[in-house]
Amino acid sequence: MYIIKMFEDMGKIFVKYWDLFLIKGLSATILLSLMTVALGTVFGALLALIKIGKIKPLKWIVNAIVEIIRGTPMLLQLYISTFLIPVIIPAMNQLENKKLLCISFTLVMNSAAYVSEIIRSGIEAVDKGQTEAARSLGLNGTTTMIQIVLPQAVKNILPALGNEFITIIKETSLASTFYVGELMTQYHIIVGRTHNSLPILMIIGIIYFVLNFVLSKALGFFERRMKARA
Amino acid sequence: MLNVNNIYKNFGDLQVLKGVSIQIKEGEVVAVIGASGSGKSTLLRCMNLLETPTFGEVWQNEELLTPVDPYLHPEVIMASNTYKKLIATGMAPGEAIAKIKAEDLLNEKFSVAEGKEYKKAMKKIYDEHHIDINLARQEMGMVFQQFNLFNNKSVLENITLAPMKTRAKKMLEEGKSKKEVKAYFDEKAMALLNRIGLEEKANAYPSTLSGGQKQRIAIVRALAMNPDVMLFDEPTSALDPEMVGEVLDLMKELAKEGMTMVVVTHEMGFAREVADRVVFMHEGVIAEEGTPDEIFNHPKHPKLQQFLKSIL
Repeated sequence: MYIIKMFEDMGKIFVKYWDLFLIKGLSATILLSLMTVALGTVFGALLALIKIGKIKPLKWIVNAIVEIIRGTPMLLQLYISTFLIPVIIPAMNQLENKKLLCISFTLVMNSAAYVSEIIRSGIEAVDKGQTEAARSLGLNGTTTMIQIVLPQAVKNILPALGNEFITIIKETSLASTFYVGELMTQYHIIVGRTHNSLPILMIIGIIYFVLNFVLSKALGFFERRMKARA
Repeated sequence: MLNVNNIYKNFGDLQVLKGVSIQIKEGEVVAVIGASGSGKSTLLRCMNLLETPTFGEVWQNEELLTPVDPYLHPEVIMASNTYKKLIATGMAPGEAIAKIKAEDLLNEKFSVAEGKEYKKAMKKIYDEHHIDINLARQEMGMVFQQFNLFNNKSVLENITLAPMKTRAKKMLEEGKSKKEVKAYFDEKAMALLNRIGLEEKANAYPSTLSGGQKQRIAIVRALAMNPDVMLFDEPTSALDPEMVGEVLDLMKELAKEGMTMVVVTHEMGFAREVADRVVFMHEGVIAEEGTPDEIFNHPKHPKLQQFLKSIL
């Protein structure tokens, strides 16, 4: 009986709150994830370049940062950054959406750390013989990287990057602790009105699932097409 | 043309080359044979600095490819503080130089803080002779066991990439348009493909080719740079037996045209037929070298006799 009632409630709540809150939460989640992945990829690529580069001190620093980010929980990082960043940059306190900035920064850095590992291993997975052949013809390191190594590394990197995107979409839910407006924040808001948790949780769960399922199928499609062309 | 002077190569604790010297003259075909692990591939890879020798020098004509090895230059040793100290004890100059050379490889840190004059003498040689390795490699073609065609480029692009990135600059400066330059190199590449009968594969990708086709394309890719010398690193070892012939035939043609070649190979027939000189390597040194007749018909070194018996 309870189950049937829950489905009824889900229907009611969905109809009532979709326009009001849920659609906002969905777009906020997608925007936050897109921004995180885009900036995370840019910074991740930079970190990866340092990692495979020859400047030792920079390498150590980057490796340390990456290890710390990978070795601590994201929720903890979010907490620390919302307290720490305004202390380091006092000007932040004047800003209206300082919390969102702190959280975005943490998400981007977190994603960059993982992406840098994806890119580094993608580059290193390219057969050494390719580099040797290019260098043996007298091409310099940069030309070799741009013409030969990177185009082949992209094929290793893109599928893993897609998975990172899906992970990030789910991890943005942690940001709801700070009420930044994404899907889980909307849950807190709606539950404050209806005092009925389970149906809302189920609805949000379905939204997350549909989002990620569609995305992972799309990625699979691109992956197959890329393989077919290689 | 190519002068390898007393090179050593260590991989960690493993000493792969233990003092190898070899001169390659213009137009000469040198075959390097030996059991696996004897250091023959490492020697070849040291010639174009895909591996940097731990000690010793590699010269291309009058140009130094490796860092200066002070122990190969008496004038550098004579500028050092250690030499001066030895002379002060009454040692004869020749004896002092010999003593320092004897100690060089035993003690890597020997040359640290040898004084200003020593550094100056070393820098003089470096400035006078050192060449950018990328420029040097443009004159040296290399063919690999695993072909190493660029997977992301078509056959034609494989051949034209290096000329377009290196030789084209000069032509552009001479006032030719980009289109003309590209057309020129494309035409040259097609001529090379025509030579090996693979014109119709120009737009194919490497993954669609057989091993023999790949290796022949790898050879003309190196030829497209008009190198002075070609280095072959076991070019037929990864091929199916029926494809070995087509690759060896192309190499024979090159030899006939007077190309300078260094060939690391297990194909004794090829070495016997084509090489002007055969070098036998054993445990990181050149154990014996001579004409094919001397090496194959009258081997002296017991290890060479054993090696020939085991493979023939």
